[in-house]
Amino acid sequence: MSFIEMQNVTFAYEQQPVLKSLSLSVEKNSFWAVVGPNGAGKSTFLNLLCGQLKPDEGNVHVDGKPASSYSSQQLARMLSMVRQEFVPVFGFSVRQTVMMARFYRTSSLFENAEDIKAVDAALAATDTTEFADRPLGHLSGGERQRVFIARALAQETPVLLLDEPTSHLDLKHQIRIFDLLKQMQHEQGKTILLVTHDLNMAAQYCDRVLLLGAEGAFFQGLPEQVLESGQIQSIFKVQGYQGHLQKRKFFIPLGRFSMDRPEKPA
Amino acid sequence: MMLTSKKLILRVAVAGLFLVVVMAGCLLIGSQEISLRNVLQGPMMDGVPNSDYQILVGIRLPRIILAAIVGAALACSGVVFQAILRNPLADPYILGVSSGAGLGSIIAVMLGWTWTFYGLSALMVASFIGAMGTVWLVWTIGKVTGRVHVTGLLLAGVVVNALFSAVIMFLSSIATASKFQTTMLWLMGSFAELDQISPLIASGVIVLLGVVFLMTLGNQLNILSFGRQDARSLGVPIERTCFLAFGCAALITSVAVSFSGLVGFVGLVVPHAVRLVAGPDHRQLIPLSAIIGAAFLVLADAVARVVVAPAMLPVGVITAMVGGPFFLILLIRYTKTVHWGNA
Repeated sequence: MSFIEMQNVTFAYEQQPVLKSLSLSVEKNSFWAVVGPNGAGKSTFLNLLCGQLKPDEGNVHVDGKPASSYSSQQLARMLSMVRQEFVPVFGFSVRQTVMMARFYRTSSLFENAEDIKAVDAALAATDTTEFADRPLGHLSGGERQRVFIARALAQETPVLLLDEPTSHLDLKHQIRIFDLLKQMQHEQGKTILLVTHDLNMAAQYCDRVLLLGAEGAFFQGLPEQVLESGQIQSIFKVQGYQGHLQKRKFFIPLGRFSMDRPEKPA
Repeated sequence: MMLTSKKLILRVAVAGLFLVVVMAGCLLIGSQEISLRNVLQGPMMDGVPNSDYQILVGIRLPRIILAAIVGAALACSGVVFQAILRNPLADPYILGVSSGAGLGSIIAVMLGWTWTFYGLSALMVASFIGAMGTVWLVWTIGKVTGRVHVTGLLLAGVVVNALFSAVIMFLSSIATASKFQTTMLWLMGSFAELDQISPLIASGVIVLLGVVFLMTLGNQLNILSFGRQDARSLGVPIERTCFLAFGCAALITSVAVSFSGLVGFVGLVVPHAVRLVAGPDHRQLIPLSAIIGAAFLVLADAVARVVVAPAMLPVGVITAMVGGPFFLILLIRYTKTVHWGNA
């Protein structure tokens, strides 16, 4: 039985269709990449999974029950979410922000030793311990992103939903975060769904890919089936070079090196 | 540094001690000089009523306690409104709660109501109903704009506030001279109207319970200040938390406004000042703001009592005159230290 099940889900923003008859089964302990152009419904997909949005048609089930039937506290035990760029209003420190992940576990007003241990581990895993006591607003976009990943880790849920978690990260931290997620999948049995624009990272790290296109078009399956040159070109409307490296596909958009573009005379 | 129960108790105790010192100091301040030695003689001295005792215990003490209750309520509700609306400029005024209470009491004055209800004057009852009615109205309008959306709530508050302020001004302008003076004093905020002790005790208990209850929502308010989507995925029941926090903050605001009229700036300035010193954690921000708000208003009232003695200024004039520039200083400092973002 899959942990997350979508059946014929259709969703539109004011008559503008985003997802159309999308059916999908997410097995436990799998690592999914959700890719596609801007506005294709990647964030909408994650919001449907975590019960923030309700489908116009179809069903979303989490652990055998409709996502909408869970209270927010019950969902917080199963799913943690890292959203896109966020700017804080008040001056909470990094540690305080990560500690908020532990709220759903306790009815006490104060955190206990177990909470502090989980937060310390999450800070260390995301390389954010050094600025744990600095206000969130003083960090760069990439540092903030790592803090929100730390918060999701501290929530200790079986499923992680991440919306472009590495978009502001430098190469080293991108790889570190992907390595960390992969490690958590293998060692802790986490189920991970990650929205990304980096097709090559998706091909390299993920077991399954959901490729969303305009007006509800989608492909899903193994990376080598979905991240196929023709499908990428039809969804993204760009040409590129497709190759293989250690049995994993990679795709280089040609852009100005496109063969269609005439060379400038010397 | 994480907050522990020991740290919280220690900080609240220190702030509480500060409040007691301020209250004790302000007891001795007033247009009439009094001797502590005389006060200690009791209500009667040499067979005649002891005037020093009467002034200190009968007039100043209840007034100071009232100022503390009102200051605590306004500062605490300011913290809560700022958290729920994710807006550092929110306070009981922005949401129209104060002007709703104002409208209720102006109507009571205009209609010449003089009845009492369990020791509460008609003016207090009317302003309480006005405040709670406004909360209901703002909440309903906010809900229409989309599941108690923050922007919807804020805009509904601004519109209701402007509308009620206009009606208050209209009613004041057609009032008779004596009623006009009563309403103007009330609009400027004043502690002059206090002739019974029982409403003071009742309001003190309500505000104390309200502050304690809001403090228990501290974790939820911390998370809510990160936005509704984040709060939901971290397990906060959004609608219930907003309703409870908003309702409780409105309740203590209406209790305060029904006693004191429109005392401005406490709900705005005190939370920011406390946040600068103690940080943004609502578990301690709420009790500390309540205590510092109480001390601030007790001090402001003391100034209002002596600055044009033997006459008295409405305390709202002092809080606005001190609070305005203080807030500007805070604004400049705060902008340098905290990235507010796009609230």
